[in-house]
Amino acid sequence: MTATDKAREIEERTAFFDRVKGIRVASWATGLLLAAAAVVAAVLQPNLLTPYGVSSTFATFLPLVLVAVAQSFVVIGGGLDLSAGAIVALSSVVAVQAMRGEEGTALIGFLAAVGTGFACGAVNGLIVSRLRLQPLIATFATASVFSGLALFVLPTPGGTVPAAMTETFRQAIAGVPVSLLLVVAVAIGWLALRKLRVFRYIRASGGNPAAAYASLVPVAGARFASYAICGAVCGLAAVAVLGNSGSGDPFIGGDLALNSIAAVVIGGIALRGGIGSPIGAIAGAITLSLASTILFSVGLPTSWRALATGLVVILALSLSALGAPRRQR
Amino acid sequence: MNNLRRVVRDPLVIAALIAIALVVAGGIVSPGFASPDQIVNMLRVASFLGLIAIGQTLVVLSGGEGIDLSVGTVATLGAILASRTMAGDNAMLIPGVLLALVVAAAIGVTNGLGIVFLKIPPFVMTLGMLGVVSGLILVVTGGVADGRAAPALVHLVNGRLFFGIPGILIVWAALAVLVTLLLRRTTFGRQLYATGAGREAARLSGVPVNRVLITTYTLSSVFAALGGIAMVGYSQQVFLNLANDLTLPSIAAVIIGGTLVAGGVGGYLGSAIGAIVLTVLTSLLTTLSMPEWARIVVQGAVLIALLAVYGRQRRLRS
Amino acid sequence: MNESSPLVRLRDVHKRYGGVRALQGATLSAVGGEVHGLLGPNGSGKSTLGKVLAGSVRPDRADIAIAGSAVQIGSPRAAAKLGVSAVYQQLSLVEELSVSHNLVLGQEPGRVGFLSDRAAKAKARPILERLGPALGDVQADQPVRDLTPGQQQLVEIGKALLREPRILILDEATASLHRDQVQVVFDVVRELKEDGVCVLFVSHRLDEIMELCDRATILRSGETVAETVIDTVSPEEIVRLMVGDVQTVEREQEEPAEGPVRLAVRELSGKGLSDVAFEARAGEIVGLGGLQGQGQSELLSALFGATANSGSVSVDGRPVRLASPRSAAARGIALVPGDRGSQGTLPARPILENLTVASMRKRASFGFLRAARERAASQRMVDELSIKVGGLAEPVSSLSGGNAQKVVFGKWLLNEPDVILLDDPTKGVDIGAKSEIYRIIRGLARAGTTVIINSSEDRELVTLCDRVLVMFEGDIRAEIRGSEITEERLVQAALRIGEGTHGETTAESAT
Repeated sequence: MTATDKAREIEERTAFFDRVKGIRVASWATGLLLAAAAVVAAVLQPNLLTPYGVSSTFATFLPLVLVAVAQSFVVIGGGLDLSAGAIVALSSVVAVQAMRGEEGTALIGFLAAVGTGFACGAVNGLIVSRLRLQPLIATFATASVFSGLALFVLPTPGGTVPAAMTETFRQAIAGVPVSLLLVVAVAIGWLALRKLRVFRYIRASGGNPAAAYASLVPVAGARFASYAICGAVCGLAAVAVLGNSGSGDPFIGGDLALNSIAAVVIGGIALRGGIGSPIGAIAGAITLSLASTILFSVGLPTSWRALATGLVVILALSLSALGAPRRQR
Repeated sequence: MNNLRRVVRDPLVIAALIAIALVVAGGIVSPGFASPDQIVNMLRVASFLGLIAIGQTLVVLSGGEGIDLSVGTVATLGAILASRTMAGDNAMLIPGVLLALVVAAAIGVTNGLGIVFLKIPPFVMTLGMLGVVSGLILVVTGGVADGRAAPALVHLVNGRLFFGIPGILIVWAALAVLVTLLLRRTTFGRQLYATGAGREAARLSGVPVNRVLITTYTLSSVFAALGGIAMVGYSQQVFLNLANDLTLPSIAAVIIGGTLVAGGVGGYLGSAIGAIVLTVLTSLLTTLSMPEWARIVVQGAVLIALLAVYGRQRRLRS
Repeated sequence: MNESSPLVRLRDVHKRYGGVRALQGATLSAVGGEVHGLLGPNGSGKSTLGKVLAGSVRPDRADIAIAGSAVQIGSPRAAAKLGVSAVYQQLSLVEELSVSHNLVLGQEPGRVGFLSDRAAKAKARPILERLGPALGDVQADQPVRDLTPGQQQLVEIGKALLREPRILILDEATASLHRDQVQVVFDVVRELKEDGVCVLFVSHRLDEIMELCDRATILRSGETVAETVIDTVSPEEIVRLMVGDVQTVEREQEEPAEGPVRLAVRELSGKGLSDVAFEARAGEIVGLGGLQGQGQSELLSALFGATANSGSVSVDGRPVRLASPRSAAARGIALVPGDRGSQGTLPARPILENLTVASMRKRASFGFLRAARERAASQRMVDELSIKVGGLAEPVSSLSGGNAQKVVFGKWLLNEPDVILLDDPTKGVDIGAKSEIYRIIRGLARAGTTVIINSSEDRELVTLCDRVLVMFEGDIRAEIRGSEITEERLVQAALRIGEGTHGETTAESAT
């Protein structure tokens, strides 16, 4: 081995360690919350750790994990998407109608869902970046448009999903449930793509739009991209919803927007933009889902569950607001 | 000439013209749409939204991306609490209303405290509160809505008290006057405008910004509950999602009325007209037998169009 | 130097902000391979002129030529294409990103959409090495947030260098740097000059201009008044060119105020302030002098309770709790803040509301306002201060700068303050309104109010003050009284204090 080879090897090794450092969860608080939630959930519900338990738990988590990741792109970019839930609903019913319950159409359904999600996200992106409307009210309004369209596409819950889609969810590869693998795949997918130029621009535009603009970063383009990507990932979430439930439901989106924002906040992503990573959002979504699993297992009466979930969400939001570093101006 | 142009450009005038145009259009499409009876009925329905929009107006005026996404569910909760207490009995009307308003006030104070002291953005706080209140509704009702409005309340809303005018419209008009006075003729109103127009400048002028904000969010919840109570007087029966869908229209009404999304400029009269415009639009769409989905889509599209006209944000370059 | 074909030529540049003319026909001409100073008092338009060239300010009219061909510069992107880079005191860094990511921001190296951190580091390395002696132990992958202000400023400079500009604008880019760091930057600038780059150097520090620049353009009130070759002039001559006709400034204060001590400040510390102590008498006008940004504004907001601070302040012997502007106002303290648009006025609200907002509670009964009383109160202020208004219901944003500022004065006069704090009260105000504001200030002092005034214009302090406290790095370092207050004394005092200590205090210890 020559000296230069040696040097290259060392350089590559450090690069690898740099990469590992980059993977860290957004903050220790996020990790702590996740660990605490996991331990409590496992203690209260021991069958959570059986293969079946893991499989079904992660199958129910996956939609929120995906929507949280989708939301994280917009939030890191300094925006907000209140229509994320409605996009999931619309994408899922479009996919159901595209597949018509026939076998062998799973791929068409997949493409229809992601395509619809992307189109919705692009609409949001255009409205926010080109028309320069306040993202909050604008996406609240598009949420209404998307959920209206979802009702048009599929007026009542129903339709069937090809077995290929639902079966995949319940399978295991080498003893590891597919649903868990998919959550891991989402994380790996992010790690593989995070070096894309567009993500750097999204982060810079969210962190300090004036500085990014002065540094010739296409801020409006980055904003648009953040919403479009968010929409496409919401389309993925719609596929997860379908795989999980086996049928279409135009009302599915209900709490997803709020929960995704809560997950993003728990995941250490600052709502003012620029800070955090989708990995944090994944952790936040799992924490939040585990919290509701816990609420189930402590035997709360059904009617109290919604209240308890709401309180958990608001508690998480306020805790994170207390802990977040304040920007000095 | 210049004055005329200013009047024509006033959002209030534009909104009023749109309302009239919609009524006329409806009358052409379907005879009877513009009949006095039908107009009174539309105004009656508009009053629920109008009451809720009072609070939303104050919140948007307070600036700092002020918005209250919990008004719809709070209105529902108010309706449920009031009607369960009344249970169709006039004697329990006042206690029922009071209970609803007190609970709503507590919710509003919580919103305000979270926004002011925990520095949670208003939309996050009120969206979170939406979840909590929905849960609260399930706890209170156990999933079954079984309240009934007191006859007096039903009479106030559905009956015709004076010269064929329903009592609720008189209540609404009175509150509109009171709120306008509150905004224009009290220290609180001036402080609210100051807080919305420039929070830092207001603070440096000795305005108690935190107190103003907490009061504003409290009032928002209280007026939402009031709107919910009026609604249950109309429907007589209470539903678990009675007023949930009024949040978006309440924001749209405020924007139609010309109140700036950025805060500090606007008033209630515009929002009241905005509520009428939206109600007339909805009944027009119903008259045209548009399906439910189309109505929802139109609502969202109208709000986006309005924002595009009134609510553009600044460019990055000066 | 080749005068016939300058690399940069700006002519006839005009820019108005509302009623204020920031630039009125300014010119500038500089060649490649030269360091060209841009000098002038505050508000003379030198920064605006730089920003026109950098594409971040759109001029009302301008005739710009680069390397002999006429160009339009509509955006920072257009400027960058022409080879113009700019560094300001106000940073354009994304704090969440690392040093190397900030350095390459907007021009990241990469392949098919994927960025390469290694290539970015390689690209940034020469710059980091070049600035290394000044940067200290800064790592390429450290977040910019963790750097000291001085180090951040250096990264900002590095960012501009990485674009290999033909024309580099340094606008107060050395203000937050330690002396050794400044020397490193100067070395870099000299190398650029050797390579034929044109460097436009804007600075308050005269010694830096003298040391670095070949020529200088001097601006006053938005116009170019002189262009000099630095070697041929003395610092005193430059000061004189900057301030203009020194003789015209007249002190109008005859005898010092003899009233009782009204405001007493002891051990006041906080953001940007260390252990400030002074007293001021009733009817006295006390100026805060020194270089800009030495804690003058911070002192005023601290006295008004607007920022968290420790120390004791008393008015007429009674202690003031510095908890909030509200409690300070209740003790008779008033502040006319530095930023009229965001701190002084509510631009979108009517004049009447702006005038009455601080005092309306005194006139209200049970929270209700009487329209007639409010109107009378604001009309009284409009008359007394001769504010030119169309109507009391018009928004303040419809007023000129001077009249808007009078509204801020009126707001507090309705509260009859004992102490009034003025933070650069005539900034962006035209000449006529300025003298009227002076009249108001003198009237206040005559009525026994203590006036504390910070000004970016030395001649304002000369005209108004009984006494000037010269500040440096958050503390009062010198005092000039009565007839000793002249513009030259003030400029010298400000610079000389800097000479003594400048260099020992680093950005780190100053925070």
